[in-house]
Amino acid sequence: MKQALLAVLLAANLLPALHAADQAAPPTPTVKVGDVAPDFTLTDQDNKKVSLHEFKGKKNVALAFYVFAFTGG
Amino acid sequence: MQAFQQNLAKLEAADTQVLGVSMDSPFSNKAWAEKIGVTFPLLSDWGGDVTKEYGLYNPQYKAARRATFVIDKDGKVVDIKLDKEAVDPSKTIEACQARKLNR
Repeated sequence: MKQALLAVLLAANLLPALHAADQAAPPTPTVKVGDVAPDFTLTDQDNKKVSLHEFKGKKNVALAFYVFAFTGG
Repeated sequence: MQAFQQNLAKLEAADTQVLGVSMDSPFSNKAWAEKIGVTFPLLSDWGGDVTKEYGLYNPQYKAARRATFVIDKDGKVVDIKLDKEAVDPSKTIEACQARKLNR
């Protein structure tokens, strides 16, 4: 009986955690396979502007979003 | 990004330009590029507009989710890899090589 009560208490404790995990679900890309990639112009590490449209008709682009500089990946 | 740098020759051979994007400042990207020897552009999406447009903004970290998109020569998205699969470029390389053969 004591164990059952403990289990219920533990489960109740976990519920808010599960809810929090749900809220913190990672974002899902809104750009899908088959979509035209939204164009952009951004500044690189040498202060040069780079636009996606520069590569159209010339090269594939591997667009790699990373979380932070000075981290792995 | 280190893994992409190591595989840059393969990606270039598949007619592919690598572009890194994060919400870091250009200053921070410059320091990091020099530290790890990255030679392709690391783009600063300061403020996160592009990250948000692609649906990758993670409010918990105020940063992008790790993702790699392959965009073909027509400007269309042909492949998306997320998280661990985005860190390892091998599948991205396969997607780029396939696009090279198609053209």
